[in-house]
Amino acid sequence: MSTAVNVEEKLFQNRYKVDHGRPHIQIKQPEVCANECQSQACTYICPAACYKAEGNGTVTLITDGCLECGSCRVICTEHTNVAWEYPRGGHGILFKFG
Amino acid sequence: MSNEKFDAIVVGAGPSGNAAAYTMAKAGLKVLQIERGEYPGSKNVQGAILYSNALEQIIPDFREDAPLERHIIEQRMWMMDDDSFVGTHYRSDDYNKPPYNRYTIIRAQFDKWFSSKVREAGALLICETTVEELLLDGEQVIGVRCDRLGGEVYADVVVLADGVNSTLARKAGFHGELDAGNVALAVKEILFLPEEVIQQRFNIKEDEGVVIELMGKVTEGMVGTGFLYTNKESLTIGVGCMLSDFKANPLRTKPYELLEKLKKHPSIAPLIEGGEMKEYCAHLIPEGGFNAVPRIHGAGWLIVGDSGGFVNAVHREGSNLAMTSGRLAGETVIAMKAAGQEPSLKTLKAYKDKMDESFVMKDLKKYRKLPEVLHSSPQFFTAYPELVNRAAKTFFTVDGVDKHSKEKEILGSFRSKRSLTGLVGDAFKIWRASR
Repeated sequence: MSTAVNVEEKLFQNRYKVDHGRPHIQIKQPEVCANECQSQACTYICPAACYKAEGNGTVTLITDGCLECGSCRVICTEHTNVAWEYPRGGHGILFKFG
Repeated sequence: MSNEKFDAIVVGAGPSGNAAAYTMAKAGLKVLQIERGEYPGSKNVQGAILYSNALEQIIPDFREDAPLERHIIEQRMWMMDDDSFVGTHYRSDDYNKPPYNRYTIIRAQFDKWFSSKVREAGALLICETTVEELLLDGEQVIGVRCDRLGGEVYADVVVLADGVNSTLARKAGFHGELDAGNVALAVKEILFLPEEVIQQRFNIKEDEGVVIELMGKVTEGMVGTGFLYTNKESLTIGVGCMLSDFKANPLRTKPYELLEKLKKHPSIAPLIEGGEMKEYCAHLIPEGGFNAVPRIHGAGWLIVGDSGGFVNAVHREGSNLAMTSGRLAGETVIAMKAAGQEPSLKTLKAYKDKMDESFVMKDLKKYRKLPEVLHSSPQFFTAYPELVNRAAKTFFTVDGVDKHSKEKEILGSFRSKRSLTGLVGDAFKIWRASR
């Protein structure tokens, strides 16, 4: 697939209550993503593009657009490098339609 | 609040949690329901089709005030190639006679309605509160710890209706992490269009609805399906594939790229043209079936709904299994309280027995071998849709070639792609896994 799809445009339609400064998902050891993970599958599987493969080989995570599906945690089987919790009550994605 | 002890705490206000809380509250039990969303439904995602029967067993007159979109009178199944499809449509006026068998719904609205019934029945609902972990006394679950309410709340039984990620049971060690081969990742959008436009495009009248299930090239060889559902003033379009297939896809296709490609398919694009996109959702669906269902009961706890993996992927059923599991869990707790029994592992096994006797586990058992067969047979999602589409094209194109030669060509294309033994073997595999 080469079609560039702008996921930010999609996420812009959604309603969120971001818990500033308290991301509910964290990469446990960033150096594991950079040095040990070949696939970095989270960078293409995350349906909200929260994970970005950076030019220097690292993976960065910004959870603001997270849809709380859990895929990143489930696919990170080799390294279990994703610390995944639901956001604090009332925070995160707030589906209008679902 | 922390001194107060409940008969049951229900974690989550989706279909299974609401069914459980409603059933217990209606019987006079003291029920606390905890929901992490701003309101029930605000964290929940589904296609969504509501099958009437499971809800009728809980709220027989739900049609009087439940927010229902359209009752379904036509089911389409399309096998897709890149720019064509071969489809079957089943439309019957029988589906136009009340009581209707199934409806499209919008979950945020439906769950809110269901929750209002739960509260009317007498349950206490607390929203915007995330349950962080279960409280254990040895093996016995005795309550939950939340991020509000002063922390700890106690109950005889905790009903885990916390959804597909099943975080609480996992943290408590009741089961392990989900396997990427047992869950599908689905993404979808809701597209708004005037009611009349939807009715014209889908050949339906007011309140009548159509569902289209899509398989084939739209999933790029991954095990998965797409769907297009008609709501009152909107369409829902989505696509989902096994998470393990997304991960292994050499094209590294992003889920939203797959969705965008589906929306551009020449057979789909005219149906959704002009639709105003108002929300984009993603969700995991537990599709591992019978063999992926974890232990669903223990001392002081029961698992219901997606948290227990109760989804019949073959028939695209989930919320009805969820509601049924919630109702049976509720009935188990009611019977336990009535008999004055302790919430032990032994007492609560009654829930598992009820589930085994219900259509939920019977249906999952019937298809227990199918996930494995589909995983090992990608031809069902690529080669066959392609072959069928090519066969249709050969057969229906009038170009001076005689019909006998066309038949030979079609047969030859199937044999060269799959061989005769492959074809027979595939048919046998599917038959064996579905019987």
